[in-house]
Amino acid sequence: MPSPFLNPNPTAGPDSLALLQLRRDQIVPTILRDHDDENQGYFEGKVTNTRFGSFPHSTLIGKPWGSQVVASKVDTGSRGRRSTNKRKAEDIEASATPTGTEEETSKPALRAPVAADSGFLHVLAPTPEAWTISLPHRTQVVYTPDYSYILHRLRARPGCTVIEAGAGSGSFTHASARAVFSGYPETEQATKKRRLGKVCSFEFHEQRVEKVKEEIKDHGLDGLVEVTHRDVYEDGFLLGEPHTGKSPKANAIFLDLPAPWLALKHLVRHPPAGQESALDPESPAYLCTFSPCLEQAERTIRTMRQMGWLNISMVEVAQRRIDVKRERVGLDAEGERGATLFPQTVEQAVSKLRSDEQHAKLVRENRSNIGLPDYEPIEKAESTYKDRDADLPKYAQGRLVHRSEIDLRTHTSYLVFAILPRDWSEEDEKKCREQWPSAKVTQPSQEKKVSKKQLKREAGMERARKREEKAKQEQETQAEPTDKTEDASEVNAEA
Amino acid sequence: MHSYIRPNQWVALKLPSDQLKLVQVIPDTVINLGRFGTFAANQILGRPLYFTFEILDSRDETGHQLRVLSATELHAETLIADGEGDVEPEDLDTGENGAPMRTNREIIDMNSSQKLTLEEIEELKKESGGAGRDIVAKLLESHSAIDQKTAFSLAKYTLRKRKKYMKRFTVLPLDVGMLANYLMEERDAQKTMELRDEHIGLIGCWGNVHHSGNLEVAEGVKPHGRYAVVDETAGLVVAAMAERMGILYPHDAEEAEEQPDVSAETTSETQDENAPKTRRIRPQQSSATTNTITVMHAYAQPNLSLLKYFGYDSNNPDESHPLYTHLKSVSWMQLLEPNSDPIYANEPPALPAEELAEMKQSKRTTYYHKRNRWQKVKSVVDESRAGDFDGLVMATLLEPSSVLKTMVPLLAGSAPVVIYSPNVEPLVELMDMYSVSRRTAFIEKKRELESKGEAADLSALYEEFVVDPTILLPPTLQSSRVRPWQVLPGRTHPMMTGRGGAEGYIFHGIRVFPSTQTIQAAGNLRHKRRKVEPKSTPASDRDVEMTSQ
Repeated sequence: MPSPFLNPNPTAGPDSLALLQLRRDQIVPTILRDHDDENQGYFEGKVTNTRFGSFPHSTLIGKPWGSQVVASKVDTGSRGRRSTNKRKAEDIEASATPTGTEEETSKPALRAPVAADSGFLHVLAPTPEAWTISLPHRTQVVYTPDYSYILHRLRARPGCTVIEAGAGSGSFTHASARAVFSGYPETEQATKKRRLGKVCSFEFHEQRVEKVKEEIKDHGLDGLVEVTHRDVYEDGFLLGEPHTGKSPKANAIFLDLPAPWLALKHLVRHPPAGQESALDPESPAYLCTFSPCLEQAERTIRTMRQMGWLNISMVEVAQRRIDVKRERVGLDAEGERGATLFPQTVEQAVSKLRSDEQHAKLVRENRSNIGLPDYEPIEKAESTYKDRDADLPKYAQGRLVHRSEIDLRTHTSYLVFAILPRDWSEEDEKKCREQWPSAKVTQPSQEKKVSKKQLKREAGMERARKREEKAKQEQETQAEPTDKTEDASEVNAEA
Repeated sequence: MHSYIRPNQWVALKLPSDQLKLVQVIPDTVINLGRFGTFAANQILGRPLYFTFEILDSRDETGHQLRVLSATELHAETLIADGEGDVEPEDLDTGENGAPMRTNREIIDMNSSQKLTLEEIEELKKESGGAGRDIVAKLLESHSAIDQKTAFSLAKYTLRKRKKYMKRFTVLPLDVGMLANYLMEERDAQKTMELRDEHIGLIGCWGNVHHSGNLEVAEGVKPHGRYAVVDETAGLVVAAMAERMGILYPHDAEEAEEQPDVSAETTSETQDENAPKTRRIRPQQSSATTNTITVMHAYAQPNLSLLKYFGYDSNNPDESHPLYTHLKSVSWMQLLEPNSDPIYANEPPALPAEELAEMKQSKRTTYYHKRNRWQKVKSVVDESRAGDFDGLVMATLLEPSSVLKTMVPLLAGSAPVVIYSPNVEPLVELMDMYSVSRRTAFIEKKRELESKGEAADLSALYEEFVVDPTILLPPTLQSSRVRPWQVLPGRTHPMMTGRGGAEGYIFHGIRVFPSTQTIQAAGNLRHKRRKVEPKSTPASDRDVEMTSQ
């Protein structure tokens, strides 16, 4: 089955992962089912309940990805209190009316959902980014700004093999699976020996291993991600049996471990006798470790230097999200939500002071009339201040401002990158020198590569010149031209 | 995969001065590194990448002149150079054990500490061997105040001299990350909108750009992995996407020849149906159906000049390069008014076979050339206009809203939109176009216009609102910057200097389909109550999304 992460169908199908987006950072993952697989006992079949309403899966299945879906009226209160028998009896009654066409089967008929008055969500096709937002947290999650940068620096490209330890919550697993994906092993034709991208994920926490394995299966990533239950400090990165297993032939390694330096001894070109190297012998190995503390990073780097890793560099990724809003300040913004009641300009302030003063004066004068028969309290003056942008529609009023979001992730981890070039033996060098003789140097040919366009242009010019020459010859036969003009035309032709 | 240096491949050479130099490794030529020396290209061809070579003064009997430096050698040097080697830095410099701490108190600031004159150094350069090692040693020897230096400042001095005189270089693969860094540091960064590694990573991830796999493209099924891109960075963004899709490097296709690859598969599939087993069929340019990049460009031709570093010259494309079939380009005019385009609008008449057979060779070639060109333009324009793209990536000088107005409706459901901008202002304005209050106003106005009758004229709506704010959610603005550190025992700190310039911002959202029903947002009760108040505005950024009552 193609993975919905990599090759989604145009519509949200049954038994496939769908991400239900409630709002920006609220996404609920669910496997769409046309039957009540978790035995929730709703009349509508499987239902996902959210703070914006209940959504029976029958309203989601078959919708094009990205569709807005309205919540349904679902009886969430009474189901627990009923016995199964009673529910069945009711279902039979219910099936007579809405679903109609269904026959008497062993399955209880489902009630057609009724749209609720409010609430909606969007059904989104899964992506590693949306999954990272929505996934159930088991450990600290590697977020998009970090993993996007890491995968780019690790040169994780289609056809590569990536080692990941530990799997944790699986955000990096999904992102790296997408980065290296170049085809499904089961649909690859037998004649082809092309290397397909693969992620080899190691995790020492048994429960987490089971969870990740389950997710990988549900997400159609079987064969693209291989999860191994393993303590990599002790037992290394070979697939299958530790120490004697098959090499994953990794091109890139990501270590999200408390003590990455302990795992480095298993990532060498020449492992102890009888073992395969976990690295691809034919390409450089790219490594990244992810450690929150400086001490961990320092110790990792020290070990890397001892083990011959090169281009060692350490960075941290600082990302922020930016809020954009309109900020309105003005005297006629009274009652506007989020607006600040304050003069926009000095002129407005002066005019406000002036009118306040006049008003106060009137009030003072009027006060002396209290008790007189013709006394009338002075009415509060209507605001006459006109803001600069008062004529604009509400959404365009105020100044457009941007600033960082309130909650910042100021530190995630220190990322240490290093590269281990491939092994190079005397023999390899000898072969290379035979193929590319060291001393052979030919003078670079003066002819530069020319584009088709230029060739065409040159051909055109050549033709034009011939035409000219022909014309000239004809002229010459007709009348003897002066030397000067001839010279000039020759110069032109050469130019 | 970059495993060894291939003939005619571009590589980046890192020089002792930390500068990068891009060279094309052409067999049997000489590569000149200026003051760091010269060497024959053949001596690095076929060798692994990331090796550091030293240019020796004398050649061996075969004329070989390069020596590979081992990792231990390199690290020993950096560690000594950084004040690590034999000295115990903690005893000497921190003064923790009560030993007097050596400081720069006695050092007098003057230029005469170095006893060697310029002429003497020049003379040394000519004579000395050891790839510059001798000069550095001599320089250290003749420095009068060397014993007054602290270990760290001595280290800095040594390193500085080393950088000036050592004759060595490291061969790095020229991939998208390396090219971006090179352009950033050595060239005019403005040309590529100061695009950095972290942005390239984010664009690729938020844009969900990836290889589309090896599924058969069945009839009537939407093909996978069709991306639209608007790129004004001379092709850097296109290259970054192609790298993620496995169609950037010429050897992506090379491997396909030995062990067939999908990039070749898609093209050969279509050919196989027409003419089975005849090998000499040239692939039609831009003919791939999956895993493709469609470039929208403002001038007659797109500027993709940077692709030359990856073996693809867009003026004279190499047919064996995977981009030849997978890269398509459409001008805005072809997209919006195809009939104004002379090639699209004027189909060269199809001639019957008999007539062709009678033609002169040259005429027949012209006929096929014209016909193929028209076919290419026609199919690319038609499929672009039909839309259903799986993603839109932009780094453009155009007003972002004008692009989104055209392009968002051409996206498949749930397809991502990613926009990179070096400056925040264009994206702030764009964010405002998708603000909640604008969306509410849009929906209200639309409903008002629609209530007027069946064939409602919605042009007034699009006059007021540049983009439809209901078909892209949730608009998000982000920036990211990496901070490099120096890590040395006892002296770990962030780098003292870095590059300023554009911060770089990423806007992203997802194409959605609003429901045609009237929908009320469900929020918490508190919010609803507030709505009843006469003067409160309906929407807040926080609690409601797409209010429509």
